[in-house]
Amino acid sequence: MAHTWKKGLPHFFLLLYLVVILFPFLFVLFSSVKPDNNAIALNPFGIPHKLVFQNYVEAWVNAKISTYFFNSLYISILSSVVSILLGAMFAFAVTRMRYGRVAAALFGLVLVGMLIPNNALMLPIYTLVRKLHILDTHWALIIPYVANAIPFTIIILAAFMRSLPSEIEEAAVMDGLRSGGIFARMIVPLTVPAMVTVFIVNFLGNWNEFLLANYFLSNDDLRTLPVGMVQFRDQYQMNYAQMSAGIVFSVVPVIVIYAILQEKIIEGVTAGSVKG
Amino acid sequence: MNKALRSPTIFLLFILPALILFVMFFIYPIFSSIYYSFTSWNGVSTHVKGIGLDNYTKALEQKRFWVSVQNNGWFIVFSVFIQVPLIVLFSLLIAHVKKLKGLYKTTVFLPSIMSTAVIGILWGFIYEPDIGLLNQILGTFGIQPIYWLSDERFAMLSILITNAWQWTGFYIVMVLAAILSIPGELDEAAAIDGATAFQRATQITLPLIRPIISVVIMLSIAGAMKAADIVLVMTKGGPAGSTEVMATYMIKYAITNFKYGYGNTIAVLIFIFTVIITVLYQLLIARRNERIEY
Repeated sequence: MAHTWKKGLPHFFLLLYLVVILFPFLFVLFSSVKPDNNAIALNPFGIPHKLVFQNYVEAWVNAKISTYFFNSLYISILSSVVSILLGAMFAFAVTRMRYGRVAAALFGLVLVGMLIPNNALMLPIYTLVRKLHILDTHWALIIPYVANAIPFTIIILAAFMRSLPSEIEEAAVMDGLRSGGIFARMIVPLTVPAMVTVFIVNFLGNWNEFLLANYFLSNDDLRTLPVGMVQFRDQYQMNYAQMSAGIVFSVVPVIVIYAILQEKIIEGVTAGSVKG
Repeated sequence: MNKALRSPTIFLLFILPALILFVMFFIYPIFSSIYYSFTSWNGVSTHVKGIGLDNYTKALEQKRFWVSVQNNGWFIVFSVFIQVPLIVLFSLLIAHVKKLKGLYKTTVFLPSIMSTAVIGILWGFIYEPDIGLLNQILGTFGIQPIYWLSDERFAMLSILITNAWQWTGFYIVMVLAAILSIPGELDEAAAIDGATAFQRATQITLPLIRPIISVVIMLSIAGAMKAADIVLVMTKGGPAGSTEVMATYMIKYAITNFKYGYGNTIAVLIFIFTVIITVLYQLLIARRNERIEY
């Protein structure tokens, strides 16, 4: 008897923890299908007797969550792809080409980038973006996002490329390939597994980014989802049912991706945690 | 050997795009921040006037600046003394159980991949005085509604709880990975010698995971120093500046009040403070937790 009780105790604490994690999500999900604040106040913990989906229509169409959603998607995918392309080129040059000392120095320089607290650089980047005349365009986010992701991308891809056997280049020479060919036809295909991990980490980072997105864009039609959601909240402050529908829209895509790719995500994000 | 792999031109072509971006968005900003921190520039005019150390003395004399430093301090204190013990406890529990291990691990990690802005909004709703989840639960125990985010006594605590809710699982997964990589024989041998689960956890597992706990503390400190979006979304630094952190203080001056020079001074101070804390931590504590072999 005492034995089973002892076995159950860890589960008791762990399940309690799961409730603390999941209950806020459920609360928001339930609130999103209630007609108004009154209904939420009267029945805070349960699903309502009659489901109201009007909140979702209101949030998606009228409050432009759809616009923000696709802006986020476009910016996050484009920046992640470009940072991987540039990062892979750099990693290829420093790991597979014959420039030992120069390569090591360049690689070390980029490593230092991981230690810099990004927020502290926000102001000069703002000025830089304005000087480039891209303030209030999507490029104001895409270019800094690419730059921001470069140290992490290079570190992970370089580590992976180093692990590839050196016979690759010899085989390529036999096939008569040049550097570009070795990179495109041999290194890139072999590095795809590492690229997938890096893509997920970069994508999530860009999808969730708030500070730059909030201050570098003022045109409402260009805004990303986190910024759009904050505005939406400020506008509909008193209507918690509609706000909940908006939260559901921002949270569900991440949960779906997570459900499909959880192992890769955990592995990738914890590898990226070196960045802090 | 392939000539192409020795060509300096090709080498440059491959490294330049990433290197240019890196210099533009990492190296240049550091020097630019340092330069403008000695000026009274407003961020737009063509005239930049140097004022020496005035911005620095002004910052160090401002009460609101020190409130923001103190709030970054609260982030550190809360993570080191409340979050880290919880992280260790729950990691040990998850490592200990046989059933549902995967479920616990995946679920606790979930909040850390969400946007901090959206989590801030979600928790803003939970803290809502009248219909929010927290006061409704407290209400069933007969406790009067608390104004979590608009009462100076509770606002900072509310933010710290939300921040802990978001990140605890992230670190649990890191610590858990370290625990699970410890060879099982150590634990089994101790179990055969009659050590209880508690004794094995405290005397075998815990000493072996000290290095990773040290990393978790380092990362928490780094995270605490750059906290900004959660504060902006939940309280905008209010009520009455009581939840301001260094980064939001910097943004407020530089972007909202056009004191670009002064804002950069705060950026440099964030930098200096982060370096000081990191070095102090490394010298005083982390050095004792040098690599453990098994």
